[in-house]
Amino acid sequence: MSPFRTVSGPGIVVSGLRKRYGAAVALDGMSFAVPPGVVTGFVGPNGAGKSTTMRVILGLAAVEAGTALVDGEPYRGLRRPLSRVGSLLDSSAVHPGRSARDHLLWLAHSQGLTARRVDQVIERVGLAPAARRKAGGYSLGMLQRLGIAAALLGDPPIVMLDEPFNGMDPEGIIWMRGFLRSLAAQGRAVLVSSHLMSEVQGTADHLVVAGRGRAIADAPVADLIAAASSGRVALRTAAPEHAMRVLARAGASVASTGGDTVTVAGLPAERVVALLGEHAVPFSEVSAHRATLEDVYLELTRDAVEFRAATPEEAHR
Amino acid sequence: MTTVLTSGRRAGFVSLLHAEWTKFRTVAGWGLGMAVGSLMIVLVGVLAGVSSDQQGAPPVPVGPGGAPVADSFYFAHRPLTADGGITVSVTALESSVPAGPGDLRPGQVAWAKAGLIIKESTRPGSPYAAIMVTGGHGVRMQSGFVDDIAGPAGTEPVHWLRLLRSGDTVTGYSSADGTQWTEVGTVRVRGLGPRPRGGPFVASPPSVDGMGTRSSVSTAVFGDLRVEGSWADDAWTGEQVGPESPTFAGYPPGTSGSSTASGGELTITGAGDIAPAVRETLATGGTVKDILTGTFAALVVMVVVGTLYITTEYRKNLIRVTLAVTPGRGRVLVAKAIVVGSCAFVAGLAGALAAVPLGERLAEVNGVYVFPVSSATGLRVALGTAALLAAAAVLALSVGAILRRGAGAVTAVLLVIVLPYLLIANPFMPAGVAGWLARVTPAAAFAVHQTLEPYEQVASVYTPYNGYFPLPAWAGLAVLAGYAAVSLAVAVVLLRRREA
Amino acid sequence: MRRAVHAEWTKLRTVAGPRWLLAGMVAVTVALSAAAASVSTCVSPGCGGDPVELSLTGVDLGQALVAILAVLVIGGEYGSGIFGVTLTAVPRRRVVLAAKAAVVSGVVAVAGSVAVLGSLLAGRVVLPGGQLVLWPVGGPTLRAAAGSVVYLVLVALLAFGVAAVVRDSATGVGIVLGLLYLVPIIAQVVGDPGVRRVLQQVAPMSAGLAVQATTGLDQLPIGPWAGLAVTAAWAAAALLAAAVRVGVRDD
Repeated sequence: MSPFRTVSGPGIVVSGLRKRYGAAVALDGMSFAVPPGVVTGFVGPNGAGKSTTMRVILGLAAVEAGTALVDGEPYRGLRRPLSRVGSLLDSSAVHPGRSARDHLLWLAHSQGLTARRVDQVIERVGLAPAARRKAGGYSLGMLQRLGIAAALLGDPPIVMLDEPFNGMDPEGIIWMRGFLRSLAAQGRAVLVSSHLMSEVQGTADHLVVAGRGRAIADAPVADLIAAASSGRVALRTAAPEHAMRVLARAGASVASTGGDTVTVAGLPAERVVALLGEHAVPFSEVSAHRATLEDVYLELTRDAVEFRAATPEEAHR
Repeated sequence: MTTVLTSGRRAGFVSLLHAEWTKFRTVAGWGLGMAVGSLMIVLVGVLAGVSSDQQGAPPVPVGPGGAPVADSFYFAHRPLTADGGITVSVTALESSVPAGPGDLRPGQVAWAKAGLIIKESTRPGSPYAAIMVTGGHGVRMQSGFVDDIAGPAGTEPVHWLRLLRSGDTVTGYSSADGTQWTEVGTVRVRGLGPRPRGGPFVASPPSVDGMGTRSSVSTAVFGDLRVEGSWADDAWTGEQVGPESPTFAGYPPGTSGSSTASGGELTITGAGDIAPAVRETLATGGTVKDILTGTFAALVVMVVVGTLYITTEYRKNLIRVTLAVTPGRGRVLVAKAIVVGSCAFVAGLAGALAAVPLGERLAEVNGVYVFPVSSATGLRVALGTAALLAAAAVLALSVGAILRRGAGAVTAVLLVIVLPYLLIANPFMPAGVAGWLARVTPAAAFAVHQTLEPYEQVASVYTPYNGYFPLPAWAGLAVLAGYAAVSLAVAVVLLRRREA
Repeated sequence: MRRAVHAEWTKLRTVAGPRWLLAGMVAVTVALSAAAASVSTCVSPGCGGDPVELSLTGVDLGQALVAILAVLVIGGEYGSGIFGVTLTAVPRRRVVLAAKAAVVSGVVAVAGSVAVLGSLLAGRVVLPGGQLVLWPVGGPTLRAAAGSVVYLVLVALLAFGVAAVVRDSATGVGIVLGLLYLVPIIAQVVGDPGVRRVLQQVAPMSAGLAVQATTGLDQLPIGPWAGLAVTAAWAAAALLAAAVRVGVRDD
């Protein structure tokens, strides 16, 4: 029998969080919900407020306004919090002189759990061979596994992980993806933050995109991709500059997407074909554009990025 | 850019120093810590200045050199109107020391004095020249409070003494039999004035007892008192000189000074001393060392900052960044030592330069006498304080680099500097052990605060606690600097060997 | 609370640092006590000595290691980020503080008892001519011994509270050692005997160690139990400040 039950519950509900550090606004009305049974990706550029939001959820940071409820309650009011929410914020927060097993043991004792449970989670994350070694000698990937073991200790219905892919090798990333999906499949609410879209692609079912302290998108991944794809045309041409000039003059917004491809928005495909014919621009393919999650992300966070290097085009203007 | 790459090792070290200085000054807490350390020195100096009110206390007698003196003794005198001489035999000198309350026992007081003195007046601190037999140091000729000439050390019970004055010149003679005279010394005494007093005297300085002193009393029997030359016709007047002087410990309970003549003999009982004042003589006086006690508080701050300057790098793994940009690992530590040492030096110097005049002025306003120091000594003490704090900060930095633990390093450094000092100051610590602790431990550096001079001819408690260190200032500082240098070398070696 | 204490105890016993610090505390306390007893020139009450107090001299040094231990229990967690993990497991801040304080007090009481007993035995052996009588144990001797253990626990609580307020081990230990060792030194510069006495009465170390005196009680600046109460007040103030601080700011 698996020691990990199938669960469901209200998940995490964050509404209207506001917080500033001095003059800098960290959270500016952050609101979203993390439903059970799915993996929710929490993405956004550095400084968008992801980590601060997670710290607020765990009661580690105070807010000026707003509420964060986990499993229906504020975190600070939970009696045995690790059996309600498992979390990993900073996998390096381990005493270098203490073994993984002892680290989990004190956490277990704080919840009234036994050493048996500790051994189960060590087995679950595949850390058994190194569990009695001092954590000071662990690699980043091993520390991540230890952090995840700690998050699973109380068999919680909600799991919240900050940048869990950091420092993992490709094998570890594959393991982590399957692992997160299995947690969701057991009915848990899973919140995973990342600043790299490629990490959550193929893992997250639902996406919360953070920018400048608020959620600028909160929707299923499929919807976001569909929205970003709609009305766009992908064009393959041997003369991309000529094509862009022509189409831009006709009122389309055009973007070079590398090499000989151009993405066109604001004009239907038939009009694009007609315009290119009129101006004798050669082209080999015109098709409906299929957006990647990366595109969605870049589109959404374009205005929200605080410290963005100027692109070459911008620099020339 | 290319200049940085092509310029040699020297320019590289300068930019390394610059980088470490930027790191230091951009952490607000460290600069603030230095300022607080500086302020601590000043605040404790102010505390020392204002904490005692001695207004209305009798003035401290000051000798011809400007230094405080003890000038209290029993004196049987007559005025000397011009040149002249005086001769006497000392047939007995016996001293008594109290063993307990009201329990006076015969004892030896090595610097008990019985002899002849010619002195400008009976005003304490006035110029004089004297020849005397002592309780344990033979015949001495003394003048100006600090000058001491040894005469015959003979142990004969009867000593003949003679003092001749000719203008500013006073010559002392001694003899074992009253016929064969030996010159002990000739001194020039400026300011004897038109009508100096001359005659036999008895002084009996406090005797050292453990970590303190007890007042003693001595009685001498004089015979064959003769004068020659221009003496006034007044009768011999017996008088206690400087009875109210703060440098006079007084008579043991139940005793008092006196002079009685009978059958050609003069018996004088006296207490006090004619000598430079030392710490024990003038317990109410302040010293520059007292004013600079805030150095201990500043020390704590410097040690904490010095430690954090390196241990925070380990904690935040910043050391990997630092070592990545400057692969010469030893040079990183040396650069850090220069930066933190210089900052501690500047803060300490500023604090000491402000604290000493301020503390002295406040003490003066409150009627407290402060042992004077020359401006050269004052500057040496301020520079010494600064160097002490700089060396302590470098020691803390090095120990921090060795232990890589902030709390452990701070404790270790504070303990090796402050704990020996506390043990030295323990009244029950034997002088030998205290002396060694003040020589070989980092606490030796507190010798920089010594401004008082010990005197051969004054028996007293010359302990570090009283402001007398066994090592000279520079040597004490060198001990601490040595510990800092060795620790820094160990830290450099370890930093090279260890993985960051 | 019981679970939090269990967790803190597990934390303390699963790393080597506290064990070494406590063993070191016992070692330096007994060693300094024995050294002081062997070199002292004044042991008997006749010259103002106090064989019991002399034999407990090592506490002056042992308290520094107790302070490090107590500071690290909280300051070390702030430095490494583990405190966030602790608060995630036990979100009630004051329960965490109370649990840590309880565990530190417990281990310091045990190690302190060993150190004090060892010091007294060393004094018994080192001091010539049976000047230190341990059996039958006299009231003042018992008070000095038990009081020294309580004093060490109070120093631990003071250090713990200070470290919880400043949130840094090195700074915390600097402040605590400054409070303990510097006030007696600075008191020496105070010329006015009344003010000096007051300083000795309110300083945590000079007041608290009055509990070690078994002779000449009338000459102490403060009575033995009253002195210990002063140290307790310092510890209580530090813990109170820590309890206020831990609740009001981001962690």
